Amino acid sequence: MPQPSPDTAGVRFLGERNDFFRLLARGSLFLMVTLGIYRFWLNTDVRRFLWSNTEVAGESLEYTGTPFELLIGFLIAIAILVPIYALLFLATLQLGTIGQFSGAIGFVLLTVLGQYAVYRARRYRLTRTVYRGVRFHQDGSAWRYAVCALFWWTLTILTVGLAYPWKESRLERFKMRNTYYGNVQGAFASSGLRLFLRGLPMWIVVVLPLIAAVVAFPATADLSALKQAIAQGDGGADVMSRIEGANPQLYAVIVFAMLAGVWSMIMGAVLYPAFQAMLIRWWASGIRFGDLVVKSKLRTASIYGGYMRCLGYSLLFSLFLGVVIGTLTVSLMGILGAIKSAPPQAKEILTVGIGLISYVVSMLGYSAIYQSTVKFAFWRFGAESLELSGIHVLDQVQATGGPSSPVGEGLADALNVGGF
Amino acid sequence: MSMGTGTFYDGATSARQTVTVELADDGLRIGTPDGRLIAEWPYHQLESLSAPNDVLRLGRRGSKVLARLEIIDPTLAGAIDAHAAQLDRGGTIQRRQRVSVVAWSVAATISLILAAWFGVPAIADRLAPIIPHGIEQRLGNAVDTQVRAMLDNGHGKEPFDCGQQASEQAGRAALDKLMQVLSNGAALPFPLRATVVRRKEANAISLPGSQIYVFQGLLSKTDNVDELAGVIAHEIGHIAHRDGTKSVLQGAGLSFLFGMLLGDFLGGGAVVFAAKTVLQSSYSREVETAADTYGVNLMNKIGANGRALGTLLAKIGGATEPGMTILLDHPQTSARVVAINKLASATHLPAPLLTASEWTALKHICGDK
Repeated sequence: MPQPSPDTAGVRFLGERNDFFRLLARGSLFLMVTLGIYRFWLNTDVRRFLWSNTEVAGESLEYTGTPFELLIGFLIAIAILVPIYALLFLATLQLGTIGQFSGAIGFVLLTVLGQYAVYRARRYRLTRTVYRGVRFHQDGSAWRYAVCALFWWTLTILTVGLAYPWKESRLERFKMRNTYYGNVQGAFASSGLRLFLRGLPMWIVVVLPLIAAVVAFPATADLSALKQAIAQGDGGADVMSRIEGANPQLYAVIVFAMLAGVWSMIMGAVLYPAFQAMLIRWWASGIRFGDLVVKSKLRTASIYGGYMRCLGYSLLFSLFLGVVIGTLTVSLMGILGAIKSAPPQAKEILTVGIGLISYVVSMLGYSAIYQSTVKFAFWRFGAESLELSGIHVLDQVQATGGPSSPVGEGLADALNVGGF
Repeated sequence: MSMGTGTFYDGATSARQTVTVELADDGLRIGTPDGRLIAEWPYHQLESLSAPNDVLRLGRRGSKVLARLEIIDPTLAGAIDAHAAQLDRGGTIQRRQRVSVVAWSVAATISLILAAWFGVPAIADRLAPIIPHGIEQRLGNAVDTQVRAMLDNGHGKEPFDCGQQASEQAGRAALDKLMQVLSNGAALPFPLRATVVRRKEANAISLPGSQIYVFQGLLSKTDNVDELAGVIAHEIGHIAHRDGTKSVLQGAGLSFLFGMLLGDFLGGGAVVFAAKTVLQSSYSREVETAADTYGVNLMNKIGANGRALGTLLAKIGGATEPGMTILLDHPQTSARVVAINKLASATHLPAPLLTASEWTALKHICGDK
């Protein structure tokens, strides 16, 4: 084995999965009794755990954000969003063009605001990340980012995903160019074309059959004849036979569309972890800080491992939950049946109550399992796969930049676009 | 132990320095291996920062400079911990803070639920009567679009509204005549509109403002004009009491209260929806009774048979409102019928609200099928 030259280093992850799960499980319990207010504390705990257990070139990262900052950011976000929501609500009551388009206007407005929040939230997290006593920070206009993101998302949707690689590379370049570790500017070197070429086989396997099915419909089916066939009579088997008469190939097309849909769903689920692993490799290998070059050799199998673990634990949890809820329901119903003076609607209230609690418990449980398996795998194996070269950069960084406001995090939270 | 080594970052650059750490009387003295003093940190300013388990990472509380001292030697770390009372290495202060957060959040949750249960309906009840009818009408139009989109799901080539085609004009005229009598009796300061729509369920709904929808399925269950008039009178009661407006205001208030605060901790939506359904159907029972009372009084006033509403309710099993099916079971229906019969005057005018031929036309307002 060749000795690593002194200018290279690796990344180690020191955290234990069980510790992480314990943290999440306890947090879920608190989330439940606080109607979610505890999330600011839980998110901070999660970040502290992940950051401080990630050791880059022998020194671990430090997360300096506090839960109170997140809470304040959220309150500011509410102050900003409430008037916007109120105006949108009033606009739907308005007749005429404004009322008609208020839904679309609201959607675009909230999308742009969501992307703005994503960028600002990233800035908050970066300025709370300290390494060797020097913090990261981020420049650049969040509004410009939001408009760029809207443009690229629209293009991605219009091209059925073909523009996705360029969306990723452009937006990532925007982010990384405005990212600094102290006085060292970041950059992003992976190209959209490279991701496109790597992802194209998956696109062909998963998306193309769906497109073919959608295109096949108007091409084969004579729509006006179809409408006539449906409009003619009362329905039932009559309509079906008339439709068949008008469009002899329709059944073949329907069968094809259904097969294509099932195929896309299965292949999409099977290939998704591989896609994510590829995306992480591509993304991480593009990260630069001055002369510092990052390369990722993430193994696809480790991401599949995370998903399989998640699946296994979720099945066990479902089984456990089913037994507990079943026993609880039967015994409570039995007790209720024995009480003669119980009001008649008590049973309904009990059912609704048990349903609501089971929903909350199961959602929080699945979320904790998902985070401690899949997200944990992303973070751990993603970090451990990194190889850094040119680390002499890290020795002479001058500290610049100050902490930024947590408003972006609050907005992202309120608009449901938050990340880690 | 009063001396040891550590790693120091001065917060100005990322350069790593190996340093000696001396535990003096009032603080840590940090120096280079050759004896030069770099920094002096008083014990009361020391802060333990997040780090891997085997590392004690120290900073200065409240300092803008991110200088860090890292100790790996557990004996030295223990000695520093023993000197600095506020270091909070075991996390006692943090734990105490968290307990108070959880306790206050539980208190906030309880007050939120109380606000949702008592506050939101009370506000909606006070607010609804002072909303001008013009705005209520607009609200009704907005709701109308939504309701029609939800209800109108395919009935061949026929329009959703009955009474529009040539063969149905006689039925429409009969309905208009019935509405004229009911409107005159109700004497509300704005016109009322009733429409029969092609839906199979035995149901009728009223929207904020003035619109009433009677479903075809309900019309086919009626045996005489008083039964239909009774249901419409009940719906006029909802409009007069502004129940539709109140429920829109309540819905907006609840989704605001819960949606905003729940945030994204589990995608929120389903819980919000469940909470809304449960809370709103619990408002509904008294509201229904009030509308029943209004309806029977209106029927008494125009000299029609108020008991007909009870007869029809018993026939269809009670649920006249979409949100009511969860909590309203048969016992409530029979209680409603008893209350209706108690209110309805025993005598009513001999002349029916519509002639026999008008009633037949009205029964066929959705065509002959």
